[in-house]
Amino acid sequence: MMIGQIKAWILWAVFIGFLLAFPKLFGIYYTNVFVTFAVFAVFSVSLNLLLGYTGLLSFGHAMYFGAGGYGTALALKYISGLPLLPALGFGVLSAVLLAMIVCPLVVRVSGVAFAMIHLAFAQFLYVLVLRMRGITGGEDGIANFPIPAFTIPGLVSFEMRGAPENFYYFAIIVLGLSVLLMWFFTKTPFGQIQVGIRDNLKRIEYMGFKVPHSKAVIYLVSASFAGVAGSVYALFNNLVSPDGYLGLMVSFTPIINTMLGGIASFFGPMWGAAIYALIEEFFLRFTDKVELVIGAIFILVIMYAPLGFSGFVMKVKLKWLLFKGQRMRKV
Amino acid sequence: MELSTSMHIAQGIHGIAFGMVLFLIASGLNVIFGMMGILNLAHGAFFMLSAYFCYQVIAWTGNFWIALILAPVFTALVGIFVERFFIRKVQVMGPLGELILTLGIAMVILGGVKTFWGTENLAVAVPPVLQGMVSLGGMDYPVYRLFMIALALVVLGIMGLLLYKTRLGKIVRAAVSDREMVNALGINIPVVFMLVFGTGIWMAGVAGVAIAPILTVFPGLADQVGMYAFIVVVTGGLGSLKGAFIVSIIFGLLSSYGVQFLSQLAPVLMVGFMALVLAIRPHGLFGVKE
Repeated sequence: MMIGQIKAWILWAVFIGFLLAFPKLFGIYYTNVFVTFAVFAVFSVSLNLLLGYTGLLSFGHAMYFGAGGYGTALALKYISGLPLLPALGFGVLSAVLLAMIVCPLVVRVSGVAFAMIHLAFAQFLYVLVLRMRGITGGEDGIANFPIPAFTIPGLVSFEMRGAPENFYYFAIIVLGLSVLLMWFFTKTPFGQIQVGIRDNLKRIEYMGFKVPHSKAVIYLVSASFAGVAGSVYALFNNLVSPDGYLGLMVSFTPIINTMLGGIASFFGPMWGAAIYALIEEFFLRFTDKVELVIGAIFILVIMYAPLGFSGFVMKVKLKWLLFKGQRMRKV
Repeated sequence: MELSTSMHIAQGIHGIAFGMVLFLIASGLNVIFGMMGILNLAHGAFFMLSAYFCYQVIAWTGNFWIALILAPVFTALVGIFVERFFIRKVQVMGPLGELILTLGIAMVILGGVKTFWGTENLAVAVPPVLQGMVSLGGMDYPVYRLFMIALALVVLGIMGLLLYKTRLGKIVRAAVSDREMVNALGINIPVVFMLVFGTGIWMAGVAGVAIAPILTVFPGLADQVGMYAFIVVVTGGLGSLKGAFIVSIIFGLLSSYGVQFLSQLAPVLMVGFMALVLAIRPHGLFGVKE
């Protein structure tokens, strides 16, 4: 037990050391690729709180990603001298507010109706943002809003604009904290209700939990972390646009990641995001047939590996254990 | 005054024609959902595929009528292939797996179409017989729109006859209400499913051919018109033909008059209407709770 714990600590230390050294090891280009990956990993994990843990498929999670992005961008554009963390806060707040408006309508349904209602609302928001040119810049979106420096008054100040390395550390800390918070959320007794709602809704009701209320809380948590991801992405790109933040593909990407990585595990979507980033980096960059590739991935995964990468690893592990067990018995 | 009335009527005919085509697609979607419990997200893609087949057949034969017969049949065959080798395999996984699988199929079809035919708009000519206007009671009607309405009515009539006057229709109706019992009676349900899926896709295919001369053929058809068909089905209530009919006519009129009065807002109106209906009745106007 002790040895196992020490091993775990060493692994964590190596992992954190790797994260810290990443910009030095791989250069600016791959650092930026990594930030994009991390943003979509958090976005996907937030979707998986709904999809994998609660069994609710949303075709419109981009709403909250977009709300986070546009919230931050608009706040930075119109409030001069706004510091970095409050700007992030504005993004998260707008995602939470949007979720508070939507959630009374959606917590009472599940399955196909849940998916389609989200498709409707997300498309509605997309069209709205496209048409409200005066505020949102229409198709062009909002670009070149000021990116403030990260300052602790009287102590330090890190420039964010034009300093990808500084931004990398900022993004990794914010996104890493988000993942940790979501991890702890799923481990709380309340987080366990999620799984209950997925597996046996009637029993949860019978035990005295109010299902719509519980769903609403989970929904708000999921939306707020999608907002964090969107907000960091907006700061990273210094640009928000309807297609990049609210389009259908933005809603589908976290679903792809979750399916790729494994719907049944917490870290699955992060694996999925990593695999997707690799596919994008080495494959999609050289072809314009994005739909063909992604569609084929969907079909292959759902038909041959419905539990994704994590499920595949689990299966191999089980086989290995079985194999070892058989050998032990023979000896 | 006279002029504007006739213009309004012409707009109305346009709206009803578009609504009928929407209803054709939507009822195919509804038949599949009612029978198999699958929300086929690839439906719009099949609709677009049929429009491309129509273009191709016309390019080979130069005859619209042959295309009208062949293109939907080809599309239905593709649909049957997809059902047999893909959708049937994941049915055990429940609605989640089906939604993601059909989404994948939609994207593969879209990608394939772009690879074969490119992304340009391909024009399909209206056959000479159906060009121009016809005068009735002192007012002019565009012939092709009337033809669209008639075509949709004929297809729906055939469907009605099949469903209510034949043995196959009886089996289908029985299978909708109790699938296992029908299976136990010795009827091969998977084959029936395959046929139903093919029929639903065929209806979308007819709609695809009907709309090709008006909107031209381009990959965005799947998103634009297909999306409208989804909105229709979901707003009207999944599995409800009555709901789909009412909502498609409303949408057809909304889009034709909407373009005239507030062109900027027409798409917002339609999506907004859906969001409003779903906010009040999450399962659609005439939908039943799962």
